[in-house]
Amino acid sequence: MNISGATDAIHDVAESTFASLVLAGSGPIVVEFMSYGCSHCRTLEPVIEHVAEELTSRETFFRVNVGMEGELADRYGVTGTPTLVMFRDAREVGRVVGPRPDASSLTLALTQPFER
Amino acid sequence: MSDAQIASPGRRILLFDGDCAVCRTIARWVTRSSAPQPGRSTLIVRPIGHDPEALHALNLSLDIWDAYATIHLVMPDGSMKLGGEAVAEVLRNLPGTRWFAWLFAVRVFGHRPFQAVLDLGYLVLADVRPLLGCESCGSKNPYVTKAKALVDFFTAPRTSGGHHSRRSS
Repeated sequence: MNISGATDAIHDVAESTFASLVLAGSGPIVVEFMSYGCSHCRTLEPVIEHVAEELTSRETFFRVNVGMEGELADRYGVTGTPTLVMFRDAREVGRVVGPRPDASSLTLALTQPFER
Repeated sequence: MSDAQIASPGRRILLFDGDCAVCRTIARWVTRSSAPQPGRSTLIVRPIGHDPEALHALNLSLDIWDAYATIHLVMPDGSMKLGGEAVAEVLRNLPGTRWFAWLFAVRVFGHRPFQAVLDLGYLVLADVRPLLGCESCGSKNPYVTKAKALVDFFTAPRTSGGHHSRRSS
């Protein structure tokens, strides 16, 4: 099921599907580690949905609910939410923690790591 | 919690933020306060949790983001009371507080002054939770943010900023 309120531009991913969807995925991939109890995640939610829709042809977006996927969050060293981790070819190429809820700066933060 | 418990007729379900130390303390108090009436308690106290589907199972119109933003009380008929209204309903259902909780329904010239005070009290408490020890609560009010930064400065060193620590308080 898609997380409440999420658009089709952001897909849910869990421990059981992380390897096949993210690590074996092709092209630039952004994974948002979020939690529902986090007020900043709520503020960021519409912004990241907008950015994901804008970038959907270039990047694939996934969302991890850390409340349900604590081990996955631990494995990637996520100590706070929201944390956005950028992957390419199964490797982490960038990370943003607690980004400002601003579409242009978020777009920049989520595209720059893939341009290096 | 079993489905039988959830479906118990006449019982209200109080949802609280299990990651918030202040909310946990209040939830424990509510649970203890309703304990003197074993088997007759009209309240079920449970954390919101992290699964949107589990909340939908309680009530289809329950949105998990909203549940974290404002206190929710699911009524036996499926309706919901929020914020100060939820607090008043909880107080009406506790043996130790129901003697004064009738005040919240008192109308004066079409207004409910005691309920208005309770609503305001709830809003203030919800906002200052970060100052009372809740590490998972955020606040949009600058005065709370500044006060929290000040408290953090004088207490244990820890990172702060626009994100939510995964540490439970």
